[in-house]
Amino acid sequence: MSRPDVLVDADWVEEHLADPGVVLVEVDEDTSAYDTGHISGAVKIDWKKDLQDPVRRDFVDKAGFDALLSERGISNDDTVILYGGNNNWFAAYAYWYFRLYGHQNVKLLDGGRKKWELDSRELVKDIPDRAATSYVATDQDSAIRAFRDEVVAAIGQRNLVDVRSPDEFAGRLLAPAHLPQESAQRGGHVPTAKNVPWSKAANEDGTFKSDDQLRALYGDEAGLDFSKDTIAYCRIGERSAHTWFVLHELLDQPNVKNYDGSWTEYGSLVGVPIEIGDAG
Amino acid sequence: MSAEGCGAPAGGVPLPQDTGGQAIVEGQVTRSGVAVPVGYARLLDEGGDFVAEVPLGQDGGFRFFAAPGTWTVRVLAQDGLRAEQTVTAAYDHVTAVQVSM
Repeated sequence: MSRPDVLVDADWVEEHLADPGVVLVEVDEDTSAYDTGHISGAVKIDWKKDLQDPVRRDFVDKAGFDALLSERGISNDDTVILYGGNNNWFAAYAYWYFRLYGHQNVKLLDGGRKKWELDSRELVKDIPDRAATSYVATDQDSAIRAFRDEVVAAIGQRNLVDVRSPDEFAGRLLAPAHLPQESAQRGGHVPTAKNVPWSKAANEDGTFKSDDQLRALYGDEAGLDFSKDTIAYCRIGERSAHTWFVLHELLDQPNVKNYDGSWTEYGSLVGVPIEIGDAG
Repeated sequence: MSAEGCGAPAGGVPLPQDTGGQAIVEGQVTRSGVAVPVGYARLLDEGGDFVAEVPLGQDGGFRFFAAPGTWTVRVLAQDGLRAEQTVTAAYDHVTAVQVSM
């Protein structure tokens, strides 16, 4: 993928807001953000209510994804432009999720809601009325999603990228510093994981750094072996979806998986190895 | 907001009744004495690296649950406005900070 295949900027969005076949989707954890104002024409997807199974810890199944996108008026051949708060964490998560279920034409708005707001661009409260469709997803693409046993087997074998903050990596915090510290049973990181906080891939306004900067970050600075497969993780898989997007979509690394179980699962598993302390 | 999520609501997660001894940094952003409702508060560590970010609340408020230590709160707002302030966080303490732009 080249950058224009997977990213659009705010000017592009303003020029294509009304295009048939282009659907803007805001994805937030805090859905009150959408309700206080969103980009004209954007529909809402709730990271938790819409994308998570209501009972077990897993995604909605294929039929559930079909029903969700059909109800939101999204067709298989639509160009879906995702954006959201938190520097596009949950939009990147949704991007990865759309790819997981085989949607071909999906892009992120570079900078997400944050840059849009800081640039004082228009937000509206009108809810779009889109006709329902008959969306048909593919089976999940197992090439981009990692599960816990694969992570344990990857220790010392593949690149493991822990994208949380250094304090979470070291085990001093169990959650990001804007949240109360409740989370997994144990703090620390998966042995042999490199700590490359997601934020190092983003500029202050939430846009992604240049490809050259990103290659230098993960290659020269972090020491990732690009000849090896990679698994990225964080706490629940959304910050690592941001890093998955960088490695797989922007830098074209072929075998990159997101471990959405992440630290809330791994740090509560019985018997798995854990390291604590700062990155070496 | 709980372990099920990972993002911060505008203004930050409400202060729990029992803070559990956590090191809390909270504050309000104003411009000419008026709350700044659209903007972002970022928490940076002593090396200047990003740690966390909260969209400002309607009252310009923000809150972090940090580790003990010295931090920088940097605020980004519309019209390219920026401000920052150094704060010290400690367990079982709420550090209050006012940021003027």
